[in-house]
Amino acid sequence: MTICQFFLQGRCRFGDRCWNEHPRGGGGRPHSAGPVRGAGGGWGAASQRYANVIQPPIFKHSTWGGSGDGGGFSGASDFGSPGNKSAVFSQNRFSALSSAHPADGFSDEEQRLLDCVAKDMATWESSGQWMFSCYSPEAGKPNVSGFREFSAEEVRLEYYNCSANNNTENYINSVNQLVQEWRNRLQELKALNASGKESLLSQLKNAVTQPLPSLGFGGQQASSFGFPSFPVSSSSSAASFSFKANPSVPPGNAAAVGSSAAASNPPTFGVTSSPSVPNPVGSGNSSAPSAASFSFKTSGTTSGCGTSGLSGFGSSAAANSSSTAPLPVSATPSAATGTSQSGASSASAAQTAGASGHNVTSAPSAVRDGIRPERLYTPRSELTAEELRQFAAKRFTLGKIPLKPPPADMLH
Amino acid sequence: MREKQLRTRRPQSAVPTPAAGAPAPPPPLCSRRLRREARPAPCAALRRAVSREVSSAVRTRMSLFGSTSGFGTGGTSMFGSTTADNHNPMKDIEVTSPPDDSISCLAFSPPTLPGNFLIAGSWANDVRCWEVQDNGQTIPKAQQMHTGPVLDGCWSDDGSKVFTASCDKTAKMWDLNSNQAIQIAQHDAPVKTIHWIKAPNYSCVMTGSWDKTLKFWDTRSPTPMMTLQLPERCYCADVVHPMAAVATAERGLIVYQLENQPSEFRRIESPLKHQHRCVAIFKDKVNKPTGFALGSIEGRVAIHYINPPNPAKDNFTFKCHRSNGTNTSAPQDIYAVNGIAFHPVHGTLATVGSDGRFSFWDKDARTKLKTSEQLDQPISACCFNHNGNIFAYASSYDWSKGHEFYNPQKKNYIFLRNAAEELKPRNKK
Repeated sequence: MTICQFFLQGRCRFGDRCWNEHPRGGGGRPHSAGPVRGAGGGWGAASQRYANVIQPPIFKHSTWGGSGDGGGFSGASDFGSPGNKSAVFSQNRFSALSSAHPADGFSDEEQRLLDCVAKDMATWESSGQWMFSCYSPEAGKPNVSGFREFSAEEVRLEYYNCSANNNTENYINSVNQLVQEWRNRLQELKALNASGKESLLSQLKNAVTQPLPSLGFGGQQASSFGFPSFPVSSSSSAASFSFKANPSVPPGNAAAVGSSAAASNPPTFGVTSSPSVPNPVGSGNSSAPSAASFSFKTSGTTSGCGTSGLSGFGSSAAANSSSTAPLPVSATPSAATGTSQSGASSASAAQTAGASGHNVTSAPSAVRDGIRPERLYTPRSELTAEELRQFAAKRFTLGKIPLKPPPADMLH
Repeated sequence: MREKQLRTRRPQSAVPTPAAGAPAPPPPLCSRRLRREARPAPCAALRRAVSREVSSAVRTRMSLFGSTSGFGTGGTSMFGSTTADNHNPMKDIEVTSPPDDSISCLAFSPPTLPGNFLIAGSWANDVRCWEVQDNGQTIPKAQQMHTGPVLDGCWSDDGSKVFTASCDKTAKMWDLNSNQAIQIAQHDAPVKTIHWIKAPNYSCVMTGSWDKTLKFWDTRSPTPMMTLQLPERCYCADVVHPMAAVATAERGLIVYQLENQPSEFRRIESPLKHQHRCVAIFKDKVNKPTGFALGSIEGRVAIHYINPPNPAKDNFTFKCHRSNGTNTSAPQDIYAVNGIAFHPVHGTLATVGSDGRFSFWDKDARTKLKTSEQLDQPISACCFNHNGNIFAYASSYDWSKGHEFYNPQKKNYIFLRNAAEELKPRNKK
């Protein structure tokens, strides 16, 4: 697209409607000349008032481009007259905010780390490399939590021991479990929401490495190895998992979900197509749709997973421990993504554990804790009046959406 | 047409398939049953071609067609001819009577012993010893058993004893003259690494284990001389007196100094992002250990100097054992680096990986010297002999793709290659 010359001078009359390209960082210089009907006049003005409130992260400065000082942040002169609106209300409306104070919290350095994490996750998924490995985005940084580490020899030894006891099913299920965990964590990190990003960054800055969630698993199994040996019922098939890097068709996943939920409700996960009888591996057709809905991709499927999961949770709420409380329905979209993921997966662990009960549910929530060290709900005392008002209101006001989860008592 | 020939020529060998899922290998499958089980292999014709014993290599590749990241991606072209099987594309010397299960470690005898003797520890619970003659002939000499898979082995400095570390949580000392092995070490978890330390004022065996300890043993006493705590399970180690480098789980990396008494010298922040897999110490021009090479599961090796004049410039990492090479835009297959060995004379290094290739590198010129053809199995271990003329590498499954791709019937190989010429360093311009 051609670059808009007027924008570069700071006097494009069309503002956002302009058909030419407004380069970020190249424009937005306030220009007192040029009477214009700014398209986003009211928008810009309103946003200035909220400059001191926490900005939702999607309005990062990278989208809007920086333009140094001026730009109307100081408020008075440039915004007063409607004539100057378009000069400021071009694509870099929030530039002054970001340069003055990175209210969204992600400096360049942190942004770089987050991008690095996302890219590494994508590579890890597609490359077929060993999945039971720790990970850190940069040399010298501590490990990102939520990844269990086993060497190939340890896994192999476990297989040999299990096959010596004729117990390969146990091994296969344990490994499927671990693969599933790994996939979940990987998907989470690939598409971090705001609170996930913050906790990840705080983790990385912390020199203290997170305690391994393996402690939760390790405490309750017989083998010295650390594989979670869940009491899997006999109806579980010896579903062979695969280390395949296909997120779209992981036959092992569907089978593991199906088989491990022998006693409880498989449809809880929105995996409606998998019956309680586990799918034999290789019949890829039936597992494909369930796998797709299970893949925890960002928007559609996750919400599908979450909403269908609600019914399941509601019915089995009595059986579940407190950490798998029903998903908050009224939460912000981003928070819902995060909590529904954790709710679903901790419920999955709860289902599989069955008798193992709280040990196991605490372990995956320990895993989840890695990305959200605070609790699922914030107590009222920790929320500001503004945030409480937002939660209490019917709808969230753009620019004021709280980053912390709502208090539990506000949910219903 | 060809597939028809294959099917009728020989009955199926009993191989475990992922679909069956039974612990014991199922009875010989007919190809029709294979087809019925709807294996995810894309090509129906190839499914029928499982019967040949020669193409057992092919069979392994075949089952990998279901995966996006198996060896099958590279192997399709190799399947072209039925007679060529790719277990030795480099046409290297095969060691006779190789172990029956995957080889975990290789070690050549020290220069104090005349001739070349090679030991290999395997997952078949045994450690075997061959004599390697100058004409390339290998003569099996002896073997010893453990009660669990052998994970590491090394020679004493005088070449009379072999130390072996095993998953049965013990380490044994094997006296080759008497062919007797006695236990010399005990841990609480499998022993992953074992090295002989010969210092001016003491000598001992160093064992690293998954019980997060590093123990030093005088072979005459059942209790360790010293125990050092590790932050995590020991995954790999190397000793070149007076330095020892140990890499642990969770990207831990510790260097010890061994003069007078082993003590921790420095904990190093890992230069790599993923799990550590192998480590090898290299020496400088005056034969003093000066740094190490660290390999990870992510196809990357880091060269790290202990006290470099300019750390930012001197330490570096390089990518290896990846499928696409320089074309980084398309998603690559990334393989683990299973072993690193330095040439004792030239100082160049060899890496072997899960992709079934070995590569020679010159770390000072920062170039690759050579990459081999792809073998049909991962290369799990490698080593040089004492004068650097022989490079030995073992072709066997390293579990990098899980139990599905494990075929107990598949033969494991150890190859010997003449390494005198190929590892000469590049002349720096």
